[in-house]
Amino acid sequence: MPIKTKSLLLVLLISPWLNAAEPTPFSGVNYHTGKNITLADYNGKIVFLDFLAFWCPPCIESLPAWESMRQKIGTEHFELIAINVDENPEDGEAFLDRFSLSYPILFDPEGKIGIPYGIRSLPTSFLIDSNGQIVDEFRSYKTGDEIQIQSVIEALLEN
Amino acid sequence: MRTGSLIIILILTGFSPVTKVFAVTCSCAGVPLLSSMDTSSTESGKFYFNYTAEVHEIGDLVQGSSEINDETNRERSSLSQVFSGSYGISDHWTISALVSHVEHKRRIGLSFKGEQRSSGIGDSVILIRYSPFYITPFSRNELSVGLGVRLPTGDNEAGGVIALSEDMQPGTGANGTILWGSYSHSFNQPGTWQFHSSLNYTFNEGNDRKYSFGDQFNLASGVSWHNSNKLGLSGTLRYRWTNADERSGFTIPNTGGQWLDFVPAIQYTVNDKFGISLSGRIPLKRELEGVLQFTTSYSYALAFSYAY
Repeated sequence: MPIKTKSLLLVLLISPWLNAAEPTPFSGVNYHTGKNITLADYNGKIVFLDFLAFWCPPCIESLPAWESMRQKIGTEHFELIAINVDENPEDGEAFLDRFSLSYPILFDPEGKIGIPYGIRSLPTSFLIDSNGQIVDEFRSYKTGDEIQIQSVIEALLEN
Repeated sequence: MRTGSLIIILILTGFSPVTKVFAVTCSCAGVPLLSSMDTSSTESGKFYFNYTAEVHEIGDLVQGSSEINDETNRERSSLSQVFSGSYGISDHWTISALVSHVEHKRRIGLSFKGEQRSSGIGDSVILIRYSPFYITPFSRNELSVGLGVRLPTGDNEAGGVIALSEDMQPGTGANGTILWGSYSHSFNQPGTWQFHSSLNYTFNEGNDRKYSFGDQFNLASGVSWHNSNKLGLSGTLRYRWTNADERSGFTIPNTGGQWLDFVPAIQYTVNDKFGISLSGRIPLKRELEGVLQFTTSYSYALAFSYAY
């Protein structure tokens, strides 16, 4: 059985027991464009929402992996959004300049986005399907996690 | 001294410097970092396991607050192996359980070649904790309160025809009730520096030999530091008060007292699930009841943690 089919079946099988909840709406200024974006702008798309900070080594380690994953999947039906929670946004901005990241990045120093999502540790990521439901949550990151996550996303896209 | 039971209470209630930490904000410590010292709650749906082996060398003879030269050449040591597991029932509730295995060894005098030993399963503890708030990337403070029971799952009649004294038994043979609380503060968002404090009180019941270990109070406060990757260090001051033991309502002499120790620890985080730590306990001050008591000269512990 192809891995994408396995991944989709896994998500469908366990999704009733997951946090299949509606994500909390949010809005913020995209660091790259300076324009305000909201979660609703991506209705109908699969969204990978990634909470991070630049003092967190696994968060830093994940950055090129997410960028690569986004480029492989494409943005027609998928988007990756990063929420940086550094309490000093200037530190985060300085760090971003070191990476060539193309996906939207919002700054959330006061936790207006992170607190409703129940963020306790970093990195924490949520996978939101095209129906606007949170279908999975990922805590921490290690090299290779992006491969499994990409499979799940591609399986969702096929269906 | 009920070393095994003491170690159980200390480890589960936060004085062993290596236990869990989910209070820190970076998940690079999916394995707990040193800073919270088990004062933190466990994230919802997560498991945390810990194995600790702690050795106590009990060779100081103390009168009040003064150390006396032991002319009996007594040697005494204890090894406790403690296995604990915690589960996050929700983001605010955590349940923990602990089982132990205790070995005691005692030898008195150079000419007396006999040695007393005991070994077996010790007491167990179940503790439930509630954390109204906890440290996150957006919150610097954590408070937890807990209620637990100590269960007499261990052997308290080791020794053969004539049982060994209570302080040489692997278990206490008695139930106990534990009240527990802790507070942690992170000095910065990454949680590089943290302050932690915890206290607990144990109400001890009597066992089937009508022996009641003294109630016990512990208070610990310290500071920890960890870098962004692997290494953590902490230093903790720990105060303990124990009431005198009783048998059939009569006070057992030379039991009870107050202890103040310094506990340094170092932890290495292997990966986001696994960590190792080493700690020691250095007595600073003691005020012990009775004429003479043997008490711990020093102790050290090696612990392994696994988060799932």
